[in-house]
Amino acid sequence: MGTQALILDGGLGDGRDTREVRAIIDAVLREAGWQVALLALRDIDISPCLGCFGCWIKTPGICVIDDAGRETARRIVQSDLVVYLTPLTFGGYSSELKKALDRSIPNILPFFQRIKREIHHVKRYARYPRLIGIGVYSDGRADPDDEELFETLIHRNAINMHAPAHATCVVDDADPNDLRRCRIERVVEKVIGS
Amino acid sequence: MSTTNERILLLIGSPKGLEGSNSGRLGSRVVDGLKERGWSSESIHLHQAVRSEEAMEQLLAAIRQADVVLLAAPLYVDSLPAPVIRAFERIAAERKPEDIERVARFASILNCGFVEPQQNRTCQRMLKRFADCAGFEWVYGVSLGATGRTTKRVCRALDILVEALDLELLVSEEAGQLTDKPVLPPWLYILGGNMMWKQWADRNGVKDRLRARPYAANGN
Repeated sequence: MGTQALILDGGLGDGRDTREVRAIIDAVLREAGWQVALLALRDIDISPCLGCFGCWIKTPGICVIDDAGRETARRIVQSDLVVYLTPLTFGGYSSELKKALDRSIPNILPFFQRIKREIHHVKRYARYPRLIGIGVYSDGRADPDDEELFETLIHRNAINMHAPAHATCVVDDADPNDLRRCRIERVVEKVIGS
Repeated sequence: MSTTNERILLLIGSPKGLEGSNSGRLGSRVVDGLKERGWSSESIHLHQAVRSEEAMEQLLAAIRQADVVLLAAPLYVDSLPAPVIRAFERIAAERKPEDIERVARFASILNCGFVEPQQNRTCQRMLKRFADCAGFEWVYGVSLGATGRTTKRVCRALDILVEALDLELLVSEEAGQLTDKPVLPPWLYILGGNMMWKQWADRNGVKDRLRARPYAANGN
């Protein structure tokens, strides 16, 4: 396994920032011997997916929109580990993270196959990155079901995007630094140790 | 046709808009059913609404006037398309449940590109969470596979939703029973779907490059 990690930071910047948690993830991964790249998605102009399937049947493997979404998809599939970092938004991803994920489907094939008794898309590449999902509570709207919902979403994405290992955690911005770091260390260990 | 003072707001979550999308077709069926019962309606394409502050203000105003808000959207990577999430982030930020005088009901129709309607479940849960956060009363989520192909069973389920919205009833379990079963056997969906992708690629002259790996690195 290589050691190139990519953090996709879906922070919103409206009081729902993720920078502190991002710094903890960055430090934990570097201390574990990983090279870490970061995309602060709020600062990157990525147009929405058009739903045109052009990336499958016109320009196979490359989105028809020529913007930073192409580079993001490339960096995802060329990484060994991708971290989805997001303010927990209705139990799922922020719009900033999702704009990048919607544009990552060129990395899989249009063809269908059955995986665990469900239909999913076939791999385009031989290898895909491991996946860590980290949700951040910062708006005081915590719900007891959110953590399980976020975990389910990451699990579903891991199947669809062929991640060989995945794990999630939810941290609260109001928690002490040590507690947040402890949770992130645990989830990183779970994925890179597997 | 009788008339009521009730109003439905249809939110289209597909980038292809009201006229060009399966989401628009499915949502319009429910809207038309309610219009036959005397409701008034308005439709907003969320991908357009998030492009300007003026359009977003119009969206927020339309929500304030609605008795029912219906989202019709495709499933993208197990969730909503990014512009829909962006619109919902803003709606939830503007609408504090404790300050809302008029609680509109919220329903959804999701369609995914896989044959199993159950693949929409995670997203339906997120929509219910959104409804709670934004001060709506959650009614029901219709989950459809096969890009929302409309069979008699699907049409009947949408009719049940129309009746429940009109009469302010709970949506009966029959709606779920009608839509839970895939509209095609999975093996047939795989066979037909894979043939379709090849035909489309052939038309574009890229059939031989369908499996291209433009970002391959280190033997990947």
